[in-house]
Amino acid sequence: MSEPHLSLQTIAPGASSGPLADPSFNPKISVKGLDFYYQTGHRALKDINLSVADKLVTAFIGPSGCGKSTLLRVLNRIYDLYPGQRATGEVLVDGENILAPNYDLTRLRAKVGMVFQKPTPFPLTIWDNIAFGINLYEKLSKPDLEARIEWALRKAAIWEEVKDKLKRNGASLSGGQQQRLCIARAIAVKPEVILMDEPCSALDPISTARVEELILELADDYSIVLVTHNMQQAVRTADFTTFMYLGEIVEFGQTEQIFSNPTQQRTQDYVTGRFG
Amino acid sequence: MVTLAKTPRVASTNAVVRRRVRANRIISGLSIAATGAGLFLLAWILGYLLFKGFTTLSLQLFTMDTPPPGSNGGLANAIIGSLLITGVGILLATPIGILAGTFLIEYGRGTKLAEVIRFVNDMLVSAPSIIIGLFVYQIAVAPVHHFSAWAGAIALAIIALPIIVRTTQDMLQLVPDALREAAFALGAPKWRVIVVVSYRAAFQGMLTGVLLAVARISGETAPLLFTALSNPSWTTSMSSPMATLPVVIYKFAGAPYQDWQNLAWAGALLITFSVLILNVVARSFAPRTRN
Amino acid sequence: MTQVAVSASHGQRGGAHPGRVGNILFGGSAWIFAILVLVLLAGVTVSLVIAAAPAFREFGFSFIWTEAWNPVKDRFGALPTLYGTVITGFIAMIIGVPVSLGIAIFLTELCPNYLKRPISTAVELLAAVPSIIYGMWGLFVLAPLMQKYIEPAIIGTLGNIPLVGVFFQGPPYGIGLFTAGIILSAMVLPYMVSIMRDVFETVPPQFRESAYGLGATTWEVVRSVVLPYSRVGVIGAFMLALGRALGETMAVTFVVGNSYHISTSLLAPGSTIASSLANEFAEADGLQLSSLMALGFLLFVLTFSVIGIARLMLMRLQKRYG
Repeated sequence: MSEPHLSLQTIAPGASSGPLADPSFNPKISVKGLDFYYQTGHRALKDINLSVADKLVTAFIGPSGCGKSTLLRVLNRIYDLYPGQRATGEVLVDGENILAPNYDLTRLRAKVGMVFQKPTPFPLTIWDNIAFGINLYEKLSKPDLEARIEWALRKAAIWEEVKDKLKRNGASLSGGQQQRLCIARAIAVKPEVILMDEPCSALDPISTARVEELILELADDYSIVLVTHNMQQAVRTADFTTFMYLGEIVEFGQTEQIFSNPTQQRTQDYVTGRFG
Repeated sequence: MVTLAKTPRVASTNAVVRRRVRANRIISGLSIAATGAGLFLLAWILGYLLFKGFTTLSLQLFTMDTPPPGSNGGLANAIIGSLLITGVGILLATPIGILAGTFLIEYGRGTKLAEVIRFVNDMLVSAPSIIIGLFVYQIAVAPVHHFSAWAGAIALAIIALPIIVRTTQDMLQLVPDALREAAFALGAPKWRVIVVVSYRAAFQGMLTGVLLAVARISGETAPLLFTALSNPSWTTSMSSPMATLPVVIYKFAGAPYQDWQNLAWAGALLITFSVLILNVVARSFAPRTRN
Repeated sequence: MTQVAVSASHGQRGGAHPGRVGNILFGGSAWIFAILVLVLLAGVTVSLVIAAAPAFREFGFSFIWTEAWNPVKDRFGALPTLYGTVITGFIAMIIGVPVSLGIAIFLTELCPNYLKRPISTAVELLAAVPSIIYGMWGLFVLAPLMQKYIEPAIIGTLGNIPLVGVFFQGPPYGIGLFTAGIILSAMVLPYMVSIMRDVFETVPPQFRESAYGLGATTWEVVRSVVLPYSRVGVIGAFMLALGRALGETMAVTFVVGNSYHISTSLLAPGSTIASSLANEFAEADGLQLSSLMALGFLLFVLTFSVIGIARLMLMRLQKRYG
């Protein structure tokens, strides 16, 4: 994978120095002044400013309820499904504000894929699981569709395991295989960004290792945003890490720096296991 | 079961404990007796039905129409009538019920409107069917001045509808939200998410609901008295009065002719067994509770 | 492999919204059909009111408490059938409540595991038996038995007790309100058991276990933990069954006797609203038809109030304990 060629300097939230200002940092997504409210009026995100680098892995870490999943769910506006939840501020994907009311959600979701905490194979065959997303956007001929499905399954490193049982139900796979199937399903639509919401929290250690390997491989072609409660996972996979606490970004920087040399006391306390 | 039998030392020495154990024995005995009595009564009813029904069961039931008293006959016109009216009723109720149940979960969840509809629907589930019969008489029989199989089918559809709404709603509620989110995250339009993901996941449960609704309406008698009425001869015309098994049973069982009564028992056996078999089949489709 | 198709630009995909029309059609029809459920209830109410109006115009509200049913003189009142409906429902509950409670306690607390499934299935299946079957059994089996053995015995014993005796006097007809009540109780029994078992199962196992852990007996656990915890639901179950018993037609019509005379004796023939509708509707017209519709309207008000209260109670139980 590509190493981020960045200076080790650190930034405070909203600062105009550091990676945000670094010319080599090519932001795929920029979040500016984002606030998020639940139906209850609870303000779950407070003035979030953040950039997600193109074709790198960015991890969100922090204790439960810190807003890391909420932030992730803003990036493809999946929160839209629940009336009463709302986001204010700006989220720019390729320079366009996706929070704008006239922004085409279908286009957004083609561009920004998502993988969930628990594997979510649809109650369909493995083949149909992958084809479902493709058919939403493209009318491919049978051989093209076949090629695309094989490509996606290969890319998600599950082809060898499922190539002989494409007509079986997706739910018949093991948990780790299901999760890779879901990743393949997301990739098949050819997104540019993949959001992953604790993708390994329901998996055993061996499956976890496979998914982590996959994340590293995928980062060659996609921007990946990873929410995790497993700090080791962030260290192993992420180029950048964001530490969040109580709906705010406490610190954002290169993973190495966040874990070895944090500027904030709270980050220090969290990564050394003193709370959270 | 934890009982005091496991603490014999205390039980044998303490008068209070002994009294408690005795109270428990009495109540347990009564409860077992109630179960025994209930099962006995119901076995009696079904046993008698089997005994009376089987003596008249013959091929002739399916080939000949209902006879005038004192002559030979079968139930063919009533059987076809039951199949037609029940079939049309369920065909009317199924799409409507499924879509209404879909609204309650996929569109209106948490809204006041859905709450009210859910409540009203639950009331309709337990509403006496005779009331539905009167209603359909008013809207589909009185205006055209004649009874018809259509009216019967509408009445049965109205009885089946709330059952289907209820099971659809219950089954869709079991579909994890994560599954819907995953489909939305791919950019799928809502109707496709519902049809491909939610319906697929809830399919077996929804099928159970429809089959249970069929079972329920195929034994209904009262609403048909005011709508389809009956017809002594074979007809498949939905706009004329039509015989059905339950109505024929009602008419024949209450009549003072032995041969009519025998036919009524045979019909009762047919209808009861169809209903019970439908129930067993429906329940075999019911989803086992998953984690 | 990675190079297969990472090229198509997102701009050319989709184009117009293929889902938009589908969403409007699908969501729209779902909404309409959901509203239809409300329209049905409104339609039932309105149509019954319209159909009953001539009777109420003719007799006024005294229709409700007038004891008359005379098609020849065109004089009608609801009292005999209302009385029969309420009394048969009441008898059904008096018999059904303790028995169903006993069965539900047996099923949830006492029943060995290997019997649980068969008995539960039997209960579910019996709840599905069409009500006309109960009616036939009542007419051909129970009524003769009542006339020959049970009613003479009741008249000979209870009938001689002062005060209470008036309810159990007269000749043994076999058919009548009492027999109808018994049939109704048999019919609603499986229904009650099945709801009550579900209600009992909402009691979290920890509650039961901690009571048993203190050394409580089965009966004490039921009395002090299960019943208090699920009280609302149990009463809801009874009321739902009552609503069903009040509106039941086929189980009652054969055995109720079809008399419009109110007798103090429970053993005497009577009639219920549902049985009169089943018996007279086909031949009725004019004021008699409207009076029957008025009976239907009263039955509607009666059963829907009972069912409504029952549903509210069950809903409260559900909300509180998920």
